[in-house]
Parts: sequence; C-alpha cells; structure tokens
Amino acid sequence: MKQYVLRRLALAVPTLVLVSLIVFSIMRFMPGDVVIRMVEGHAYAPTIEALRKELGLDRPAVVQYLDWVGGIVLRGDFGNSYWTRQPIFDEFVRRFPVTLELAALTILVSVVIGILVGIVSAVRQDTASDYVGRVLAILALSVPYFGLAVLVVVLPSIYFKWTPVWTYVALTTDPLENLKIMIVPALVFGVTRAGPIMRIMRSALLEVMRQDYIRTAWSKGLPERVIVLRHALKNAMIPVVTLVGLQTPLYIGGSVIIETIFRLPGVGLFFFEALTRLDYPVVQSVNLIVATMVVGLNLAIDLTYAFLDPRIRYR
Amino acid sequence: MAAVTPASVPAVAVDVYTLPPARPWYTDVVVRILRRKPLGTIGGAIVIVMLLAAVFADLLTPYGFAQTSLRERFITVNADHWLGTDQLGRDVLTRILYAARISLYVGFGAVGLGSLLATALGIFSAYWGGRVDLLLQRVVDAWMAFPGLLILMSILSLLGPSVLNITLVLGIAFGIQNSRIVRGVALSIKENTYIEGTRALGAGHARVTLVHILPNVFPTIIVVATTGLSTVILTEASLSFLGLGVPPPYPTWGGMLSLAGLDHMYRAPWLAIWPAVALSLAVFGFNMLGDALRDLLDPRLRGG
Repeated sequence: MKQYVLRRLALAVPTLVLVSLIVFSIMRFMPGDVVIRMVEGHAYAPTIEALRKELGLDRPAVVQYLDWVGGIVLRGDFGNSYWTRQPIFDEFVRRFPVTLELAALTILVSVVIGILVGIVSAVRQDTASDYVGRVLAILALSVPYFGLAVLVVVLPSIYFKWTPVWTYVALTTDPLENLKIMIVPALVFGVTRAGPIMRIMRSALLEVMRQDYIRTAWSKGLPERVIVLRHALKNAMIPVVTLVGLQTPLYIGGSVIIETIFRLPGVGLFFFEALTRLDYPVVQSVNLIVATMVVGLNLAIDLTYAFLDPRIRYR
Repeated sequence: MAAVTPASVPAVAVDVYTLPPARPWYTDVVVRILRRKPLGTIGGAIVIVMLLAAVFADLLTPYGFAQTSLRERFITVNADHWLGTDQLGRDVLTRILYAARISLYVGFGAVGLGSLLATALGIFSAYWGGRVDLLLQRVVDAWMAFPGLLILMSILSLLGPSVLNITLVLGIAFGIQNSRIVRGVALSIKENTYIEGTRALGAGHARVTLVHILPNVFPTIIVVATTGLSTVILTEASLSFLGLGVPPPYPTWGGMLSLAGLDHMYRAPWLAIWPAVALSLAVFGFNMLGDALRDLLDPRLRGG
C-alpha cells in the first residue's frame, strides 16, 4: 500500500512537469500581449519596452519558464500578479476556502440527491418512482447549470421579490449568514450534477443486487432495508466515487461560472479576472495548482476503492 | 429441433424467387431503435428539428439575427415576434434559430476535427507502441489533469473570441481526450492474428493501419463522436456565456444568457428563459440520441 502510494506520487512528477510546460507554452506562444493590455488599462510605464523589461518578459522563454518553475520548487513562490503585484499563492490561499466550500456543498447536494434517487430507482425498478427518478436525472443532465443559475437569479426577483444575497460573508465571520449565501449556488450547481450520479448509482446497485451474496442475504431472511443499505450499497458505491472524482475538475471549471454569476470571491472569480486581464503568472499558476489538486485527488479516489471493496488491494 | 434439410421441408416448397426482397440493413436498424430506444427517438427528432432550424434559418424568419428595431424593444410576445424581442428590438426567435446554426457549426466542426485527431493519435500511439506511445500517453495524462474548462478559457482568452478559434480549440481538446479511447480499442485489435498475418504477407504499416485497423475502430469513433456532441455544444455555450466563445453580434444560446444582458433580463425574463430552453433541448436531444446509438453500436462503452 505504502509502496503503491509512493510509486503513484513519483509518477505524478513527470505529469506535473508536462502540465507546467503545456500551460506555460500556451500562455507565451499564443497571440495576446499582456503588456499592451496593461498599457491600455493605464498601467504606468515610460515605454512599452520598459514595462516588458520590468515584468521580465524580454528574457528568453526558457529563462522565464525556469524562473517560474524554479521559484515554485525551490521557494514555494508562485510569482506575483502583473497587475496587482501581489503574491499569487497568498491570494489563492485567501480565496480558496470560498471555492472549497462551494465545491463541498455542491458535491454534498449532488451526492445526497443522486444516491437517494438512485437507490429508490434501483430498488423499485420499473415502477412509477423509477420512471420519475430517471426522467428527473435526464432533465438534470440536460439543463446547463449556468442557464439554471441565471434563471434562479432573475425569475424569483421578478415574481417573488427575492434575490440572492450579493455581499459575501466569510464562513468564519458568520456561519449562518454565509450558508444563506452559499446554499443557492450550491443547490443550483448540485442539482444539475446529480443526474449522472443518480444514473450510475442506479445501474451499479442493480448490478450488485443480482449478485450471489445478495441472494444469500435474502435467503437468510434479512429485511430489504438491511440488504440494500448494509450489504449492497457499499459495493455499489465504487462507480459513484469514481464519477464524483472524475467530475471534480468540472466543479472547479464550473465554479468559475458560478462564482461570476453569484459574485462569490473565490478562486474561480480570481482566475476569471486574471484571464480578462491576460495576467499570465496568475493564469499559469492557478492552472498548475488546480492540476496538482486533480492529480492528488485521483490518487485519493483510487485509495478509497480499497476501503469500499476489501477485495481490492494495492501493491 | 431437426436441422433444416430438404427431407424435412414440408410439402409446400418455398419458392425463393418470390420471397420479398431482403430489407435493407437500415430499416432494420431504424425499427430496432424505435422499439427499444423511445428516448433516443425523441432525442433524434429534436436533433433533426434543430438541424432543419439551423439549415433553413433564413427561410423560417423574416428578420436578420442582428436586425435591430428600437421601436420594438422588450416586446413580450405578439404576432410578429413569437418569442418577443430583446433590448435592441431584435427578434428572439430569429436569434435562437441562428444560434442553432452556430452551435451546430461549432459542434460538428469541433467533433469532426476532434474525431480525426483522436483517430490519428490513438491508432498511431497504439500501433507504434514503445517509447512513442509512452511519451504520447504522458502528454495525454497531463492534458487530462487540467480541469477542462480552465485550460480552454486560458487559451481562448489569448486567442480572442471567434467562431474559428473556438471550433479549433474545442476540436483539439476533444481529439486529445478521446485519443485514449481509440488507442485502447486499437491496442486490442492490433493483437489479433489477422494483423500478424497481414504483416507476414508483406503489407506495409500504412496498409495495416488504414485498411485493417481503421475500419475496426470506426464504430467506436462514431460512438465517441455522437456522445461527444452534447458536451461540445455545452462547452461552447459555457465559453460563450463567459464571453470567450462566439463574439457578438452572432447569436449563441450561451451568449444570449450571458451576464452582459442580466440587467435586461430583470425587465424581460423571456430573454433568459428561451435561450435556456433551447440549449437544454439541444443538449437533451444529443444526449439521448448519443446514448441510444452507443448502446446499439458499441455496448462496451456503456456507462462511459
């Protein structure tokens, strides 16, 4: 087990080096010039060349890349934003709790809805409740979350005079007020993500319910509730965990959109603001940090398999 | 049951010359889809309607998609404007129809390009094997480590919004991602003895890959492409929503929903409702059609 983890971690290093190379090349070799954008945005500089020199953009690309990666590896320094001149990592850390909370609540909403509806659908296969569940799942799959988010922002304010809370309050300042702000975006995002979870929960549970050990459980005379919840559910969870893990990058990508709509000061909004300003170091570093998280998360997911199904062992 | 030999044929001989002509294979497929995949059929119908809307948008509406009429702003619904008008007096129905055209243009363009790329990359990587395969697969790994939307947004913010750019970027991303699936299938085909036999007969690499491997990968590619269409259309909508996809004045469902128009939506909620409905219907249609086709063509990919 320990060896497996170490090997996976060692494999992650070349992946992340490639990630950094890809994102760096994209930022440097595609058209679009941050310097010109900054001058247009009234950044102070005597000449364009001077600004370019000040930002270190006049150096060869290789030097710039090594400078960036070297800073991260040697000093844990992800560089500064070109526009605000603030350290990127500090800003990331400051904003990350918002995004993490949004992601956690979203996953909670989608997993709870998905698993509950999925179980009912599978256990009551081909009944009315199964069909209702399946239709809901298809609806959830089809409605784009940003469309739903816009409707949730616009429609209730017209017809019920209700608007989402726009001013953000940190979780640590006032948990209740914070939850009031986060719950609407999390519900919107979570509901649309529940569809695939529900579908996979249903099919996985149906498959497990047909296995021999479940037949044994039935023949022992156990009640249905015990069989489903204690015997079948845990084994049926593996595809669900995989799916949630696979979807996590989607939550992060989606959080950019959700945070822009609901004006939550998270990493997504930080990233989007940096994008519109072509703030290379921010875009590069956020991409790299998030990719690192995704790689770590994939490992974590593989390890939970062993917990969910004792038959799985890693060597 | 006894084998059907001339002896067991009943007295009434079947005259093979008067048998109805064999049904062409596609009627069989269509009948099967209709009976076994009702949702897929609905999806297919939606997709066909969307295709027609996209192709005949000019004929279906008397207005241009960017034709403003300041005297007719914010009309809810009337005989001339079935879905109302927006803040510039542009007909919403017209814009939704033309948006179908752009969505399909980007969708088919990106998926077409991506499928080509996925096929080429996947077959090459699987067939060549060895270090090339290892290196290519590490690059694919690295690409997959990016949370999809982030890297696409990064690229498009540099390239700037345009129909061509978003099609290219989505196509390349789609290609890299799905080359993995093609590679897997190609790997298993490569191991068949007939491939070895063809090689022994003196066929070159090009002949083996194009004539013997490619046709066997084809069903997988079709499935990947059809199931990928809804994702690509949805991604295009998300990017256009953020202003990174298709630039104005071209209408797209994502762009029509975007925050730029939020202030107007409070006054005219149909500006948000109709594009959302259209986009959901399109995604639903492609999803259901893709699922049904996948089940029929390549059950191995089910649940993928």
